[in-house]
Amino acid sequence: MKYDVCIVGTGAGASGVAHTLTEAGLKVVMLERGGFLKEKDFSKDEVAYCKRDIVTPNLKESYHTIEALENGKWVKTPTYVTESSFFNGNIVGGSSNFMSGYFHRLKPVDFKLLSTYGTIKGANVVDWAIDYDEIEPYFEKVERLVGVSGEVTPYKYHEPRSTKEFPYPPLDEHPISKRIDQSCNKLGFVPYKTPRAILSKPKDDRANCYYSNYCGSYPCSSGAKGSARASLLQPALKTGDLTIITHAFVKKLVEKNAKVTEAIYIDTQTKKEHNIKANIFVVAGQAVESCRLLLNSKSKNFPNGLANNTGQVGKNLLFSAGGVGSGQFDAKTMPLKELMVEGLFVNRSLCDWYEIEKMKGGIVDFLFEHANPISKASKQRWEGSKLLWGEELQNKIFHKFTATKQLNFEVFNDWLPTDNCFVSVDEKYKDVYGVPVANIRIGAHPHDLKVAKLLAKKAEEVLKEMGAKNILSSMSSYPPANLQAGGCRFGNDSKTSVLNKHCQAHEVSNLFVSDGSFMPTGGSVTYTWTIYANSFRVGDYIVANWERYNK
Amino acid sequence: MTRRVFIASTLLAGTALTLLPQGEKTHIRVEPFKVIETVQKVLFPKGLKAPSASEFGATNYLATVTTHSSFWKDDLKFLIFGTELLMKEEPTFLSMNSEKQDKALRDFVNNSSKGENWVSLLLFYTLEALFSDPIYGGNKNELGWKWTQHHTGQPQPKKMWAEEIA
Ligand SMILES: Cc1cc2nc3c(=O)[nH]c(=O)nc-3n(C[C@H](O)[C@H](O)[C@H](O)COP(=O)(O)OP(=O)(O)OC[C@H]3O[C@@H](n4cnc5c(N)ncnc54)[C@H](O)[C@@H]3O)c2cc1C
Ligand code: SF4
Repeated sequence: MKYDVCIVGTGAGASGVAHTLTEAGLKVVMLERGGFLKEKDFSKDEVAYCKRDIVTPNLKESYHTIEALENGKWVKTPTYVTESSFFNGNIVGGSSNFMSGYFHRLKPVDFKLLSTYGTIKGANVVDWAIDYDEIEPYFEKVERLVGVSGEVTPYKYHEPRSTKEFPYPPLDEHPISKRIDQSCNKLGFVPYKTPRAILSKPKDDRANCYYSNYCGSYPCSSGAKGSARASLLQPALKTGDLTIITHAFVKKLVEKNAKVTEAIYIDTQTKKEHNIKANIFVVAGQAVESCRLLLNSKSKNFPNGLANNTGQVGKNLLFSAGGVGSGQFDAKTMPLKELMVEGLFVNRSLCDWYEIEKMKGGIVDFLFEHANPISKASKQRWEGSKLLWGEELQNKIFHKFTATKQLNFEVFNDWLPTDNCFVSVDEKYKDVYGVPVANIRIGAHPHDLKVAKLLAKKAEEVLKEMGAKNILSSMSSYPPANLQAGGCRFGNDSKTSVLNKHCQAHEVSNLFVSDGSFMPTGGSVTYTWTIYANSFRVGDYIVANWERYNK
Repeated sequence: MTRRVFIASTLLAGTALTLLPQGEKTHIRVEPFKVIETVQKVLFPKGLKAPSASEFGATNYLATVTTHSSFWKDDLKFLIFGTELLMKEEPTFLSMNSEKQDKALRDFVNNSSKGENWVSLLLFYTLEALFSDPIYGGNKNELGWKWTQHHTGQPQPKKMWAEEIA
């Protein structure tokens, strides 16, 4: 059978396309390397979801090499050595099942970084091929379909909106949020209500959030979290036009006459190879794995990988720059009864410094330390470099759990695109199926850290004003593995970009890439709202131009 | 949101494998889990309110999870290697009273980074046993959660290892 469209991956970037195409009646097949787990299967099992490779590939079977600068030389280290996976969630719905859903739209300036702020030495900054207005309707569509709850808080850099308010009211808030507001007001900062991809009211088959207190890193048992699976794929499956093939790891796209003719996948359970034919192919395996697939799809016409005759595939990979900070609260700062309330959200951000000292700035999100008791307790075993045990450790754990709460903040700013952050493949490092794994060179521009530190200072001021103790922050140039974009930049110039403005490969007309890979610069917010929005946009383009491909 | 910060684990369990004294004979062969159980009792004794390692099933937990394919094989090898190392350095460890065991373990940690890494790793899995869902054989009667007034998230797992529920 030949499908209309074959999509690789089932995450945020894949699902907007699948939803749009099946709504238009196209026959779509999605290939997903993991299994299909649903609400009934999910639980708050810290061991399975946070401590082992269960919903991500076992690192002995598939891994990445991380290429970092060591004593002036770039050195590759496989992640099975560092025990630090760069996979983020490999089941139907992808890592969106496990996200926390802190959602921010890009701002108009993010589309025009080069023309607004000019060049930065050592960074490959460009303007986008589209502007904010072209994607705004899709941001709005995400609010409705994926479900974003919030309340518009005006501030200087607020992006224009085509609707006045969010379709879902804000989620219930922890008593500490009021204290953040009071402190921000004193400091003259705007406490911005963080929008969340979480339903505060039921929608179709999805129940509202029940404040499980185990949100980020866990799949959602109520369907409230706006995972690609719950929000877009479950409805798309109901059309009868969507087929999802699970345990299907796509190793190669086959090309003939500058068109993709089939996808070859390995059934990870039987280890047998299969192929799928379609008129159009859409790749959305999350930035790193999407680049890997293209780079591994070599042919006579494309000896360096599919759509890569310009050598741009894998280049200008982006993460999210920034870091984390924290402050401790106890009975001295807040009545314990209020402080220890569980489950409710903090949902406050600082967005006043989207521009800072005439540079592009970023945002800060406040959130409580995760409830995860294993990781919370295991951190207590070290006091500096001293290992604690026995009564000393027990007292420390008891105090940590019963008398204190840690308010964290996370800083997000642009990870500038540079020549030292990219994906490549290397015949030396292969997975259990004999397919070269992705090598990720993780060089970061020093500018990123400079901006992050300025933002962290603002967050620290808030914590200080609130009376927090032990205020710490560690901004870092290490990439957060779960926030990936870039690698297949879109642009109008086919020499300097992989995709055109519709996220269609310049060199292969029936190939689209619809995850975050298209982003030439990252913006100073987490990516997923943009990934969803763009995925809907790509879907609309394919539907509008379908007749051209239906041959 | 969790940021998975890319730092080499302080456990160094991955690299510890290469430190195994290949082929070297240890003086006393003792059942590794016997040593582990004894050390866990020292690491997490019965407190005024805290449950002891034996009460919450620390060793039982380890026996369950180490057999699953997701358990890091290098960690398992290192856990066993550490028991042999301890027996070599402190041959009478098992028959000491608890005070002496505690002192011997502190010497073991201070004497070498291998010793320190091993105790740290075993302590990590002891705490994992204390706070994981009882379905894995630790945290017996939810003793760990009750002691720290921790409320776990709902729903709790009906099956281990996030398996599909039929
Ligand atoms: C713990 C955590 C917290 C997060 N919190 C936030 C947050 O608060 N806000 C935010 O904006 N973002 C957050 N994110 C990030 C968010 O989940 C991702 O940005 C988003 O899911 C990316 O979408 P994607 O389609 O690119 O990739 P994914 O959603 O990961 O989907 C990719 C899918 O493709 C499959 N795949 C890959 N390669 C192949 C192949 N060769 N063959 C077959 N299948 C393949 C994968 O198995 C996977 O299922 C978080 C992520 C994690 C892990
Ligand atoms: S119920 Fe609410 S808090 Fe729990 S996982 Fe779902 S969205 Fe997150």
